[in-house]
Amino acid sequence: MTDGNKKIRQFFFPSLTFKFLIRASLVALFAYLFFGHLCTPLLIKGRSMEPTYHNGSINFCWKLRYIFSEPKKYDMVAVRFAGNKVMLLKRVIAVAGERVEFRNGKLFVDGKEMNEPYVHYPCNWNLPPRQVEKGCIYVVGDNRNMPIENHHFGQAPMKRIIGGPLW
Amino acid sequence: MVRIKHIIIAVLVVIFGIWGIWAAVHFFQSEEKKVKKQFHLLSKWTSKETGENTFAMAQKVKNIGKLFAEHCELKANVISFTGRYTTEEISSYAARARFPFSNLSLRFYDFNVAFPEEGSAKVTLTAKLTGRTATGEDVDETHELECALKKIENKWLFSYLEVVEVLKK
Repeated sequence: MTDGNKKIRQFFFPSLTFKFLIRASLVALFAYLFFGHLCTPLLIKGRSMEPTYHNGSINFCWKLRYIFSEPKKYDMVAVRFAGNKVMLLKRVIAVAGERVEFRNGKLFVDGKEMNEPYVHYPCNWNLPPRQVEKGCIYVVGDNRNMPIENHHFGQAPMKRIIGGPLW
Repeated sequence: MVRIKHIIIAVLVVIFGIWGIWAAVHFFQSEEKKVKKQFHLLSKWTSKETGENTFAMAQKVKNIGKLFAEHCELKANVISFTGRYTTEEISSYAARARFPFSNLSLRFYDFNVAFPEEGSAKVTLTAKLTGRTATGEDVDETHELECALKKIENKWLFSYLEVVEVLKK
């Protein structure tokens, strides 16, 4: 057996030495901590964020994103919806103290019409003005091409914001 | 002869041992298990299989009512079902709610059970409802629930159930 073949064989079928077991355990522990608690995989279900995120696509939720800062307007955030596994991926459109309103599908914040280049589909929503409460942010999906009643959006408490998508 | 006697004694000891463990698990369930069992029953009786007959339906909705305290407070803005209801009202609502579905499944996950005081339990959990209506429309809803149960006559009964509204329009 040549040296190259030996190395390949050793890579795929390593000998179960003590050193190898320690290394494998450390890799497993790191993977568990990283992918289980810091950067959790997301399977996007639903079309409420199209065309920014597509139904069935994969992403990661980076949970350290808002450790030292608060979500800003237009940020994408993951909102804890139920348990620790079900979350909503939404865009922040207003922060605490601002007034949100929809007029014929156009978003108004504090009475000013907002430019939303990420909204690609027609929308005819109407929502009377409401002020975002302290300790909350207002989130909406990018796809508003559905009746307003069928879209999960609104004011979310900051304690439910668990991070943001990695890309 | 003596050997057979020993074998019989050993078998009996094993049988009684297994029976003892089963009895201990069955009769001395922890309160948390008893509380969780109520959710499993709620899941079992709410779920519906294709072709469910009228008798089974009637039995299930009657059983659903038995899981609730006489006056239970429900808060479910998502389905406009908020207020204090009697067990009969809950059974009747359950029958109406199940009717349009050809099959229905309710599952509970992520249990977080606390006992703030003796005889009362607070549970936060995830409820997942999936099914298909008779018109062929698929339903897939997930919500967080906050529930309170009270121990009445040695039975844990739902006294409060809220569908958590995460996003307030």
